[in-house]
Amino acid sequence: MILDVLRSIRTSSSSSTTTTTGGRIILQSFGFYSVSTSKMRDIKVKSDSRELITSSDEEEEAAAQIIESVSIREKEISSSSLSVKSTPEIEKKYVHRVYDAIAPHFSSTRFAKWPKVAAFLESLPCGSVILDAGCGNGKYLGLNPSCFFIGCDISHPLIKICSDKGQEVLVADAVNLPYREDFGDAAISIAVLHHLSTESRRKKAIEELVRVVKPGGFVLITVWAAEQEDTSLLTKWTPLSAKYVEEWVGPGSPMNSPRVRNNPFFSLESIPETEVSTKEQKADNSPFIGLESIPESEESTRELKETKASIVEQKEESLEALKKSQQEYFVPWHLPYHRAEVSGASASALATGLAKKDDRKGAVVYNRYYHVFSEGELERLASRVGNAMIVDRFYDKSNWCIVLQKAALNQD
Amino acid sequence: MRLITHNMLSCNIKGVTNGFPLRIEAGNVIKKEVDFNPDFIRHMFAKLEWKALVEGARSMGYAELPEDSPDAAVLESDESFLKKLHHALLELHLEEGALVCPETGRKFPVNKGIPNMLLHEDEV
Repeated sequence: MILDVLRSIRTSSSSSTTTTTGGRIILQSFGFYSVSTSKMRDIKVKSDSRELITSSDEEEEAAAQIIESVSIREKEISSSSLSVKSTPEIEKKYVHRVYDAIAPHFSSTRFAKWPKVAAFLESLPCGSVILDAGCGNGKYLGLNPSCFFIGCDISHPLIKICSDKGQEVLVADAVNLPYREDFGDAAISIAVLHHLSTESRRKKAIEELVRVVKPGGFVLITVWAAEQEDTSLLTKWTPLSAKYVEEWVGPGSPMNSPRVRNNPFFSLESIPETEVSTKEQKADNSPFIGLESIPESEESTRELKETKASIVEQKEESLEALKKSQQEYFVPWHLPYHRAEVSGASASALATGLAKKDDRKGAVVYNRYYHVFSEGELERLASRVGNAMIVDRFYDKSNWCIVLQKAALNQD
Repeated sequence: MRLITHNMLSCNIKGVTNGFPLRIEAGNVIKKEVDFNPDFIRHMFAKLEWKALVEGARSMGYAELPEDSPDAAVLESDESFLKKLHHALLELHLEEGALVCPETGRKFPVNKGIPNMLLHEDEV
């Protein structure tokens, strides 16, 4: 779909007749869809988001670049036969390797038991077998002493920390649990799914949680919310750009997500076919300004000034929309130097550019990949899992949370 | 790894339909005492694949469990049976060894008590 849109811009701009000043394309840096052109500029916002305003001279070049990068992606998607259970590069580099490198330090900061999770665990009947998929440092394992916990995580260093505490744990992948079905009485997934980089993987992980619990069993899932209570946190996060789209593999990649397919501004209708005054454009209440081609023919100087002013305004609106719609981030982890030396992983991470030094803070800075969830997103995803029902949903401390119940045996 | 976990573990290599139970190659088995809770053991019983447990226990050097799955009466009243079940499920630890897929022969290593069930790229 985006290809059609872009081709239509290209067509319309190349068919413009006389003016050289008319016709600009505002490319909204819509999360990771921003595209590098020679005129990329840093906007004075606290986040690192980039947005592009190209002059009329370069609009075709920009459009061409977008088309090219999109078509490469589409080819990759269509030819990709990689399983949903294959780990994409972005997760290998910015989730797995990072947690392996920071494990002891990470663990030392993860001790506070979240009351809502504790309440869920304590509500389970005595003798329950509780499966924690993505257990991290094992914070919740054994929280209810009357229950038996089995934890798994993809990070061996984190699992080692759990094992040293006497917990029953194994190394496994939350997207492909090595468990036969119906065994657990309950399962939890605390701050895990937001590290999965495609929608299909996130859905698969939910399916796995449901699969491994008994009919009638409960599943608690919590994920980071796009809607953070402490908005100053967002300034420390790096929104992802198209550079990282290259690393994303397979169906369910961002280019294929429902968010793109269903987003009205990526549809042909959002491109004004006829001359539209700038006032009319401003009146458009859609927060997604995006790909608007400002009509080319016969713009007077005055109109040009108005156009420029409205561009600035639209840019600010689109940045606001960007902040609201941005869901892909790198979130930094500062590993103090003395900690980094203990783990040899940091030396190679620095050498390969996976991490950077911050001498001012005396720390090696790693980036962790996150897909933060927007309101309702977790529910929508979970509701597509056939044999489970949502029985509770809440927002707590910047996390979206749901409780699912697996269908009982005599239902389907 | 305890036998309670082993009773749940299954080979999840793509295409495998017969990945349970994993055969245990026991290198080093240790015993660690755990408080006996009969109600928990009774609750666990319903989940267990009995043959897999008996075979797994034997692989770990414990042959005291009856071949056939006992009936409800035994579960209710026979404390010595429950204690054997408790011992097998919770007190035996496979520290070093491997878990072998019955269909493919793939070995999942167990080191320092931790099974590594991660698959390779081509198994997924």
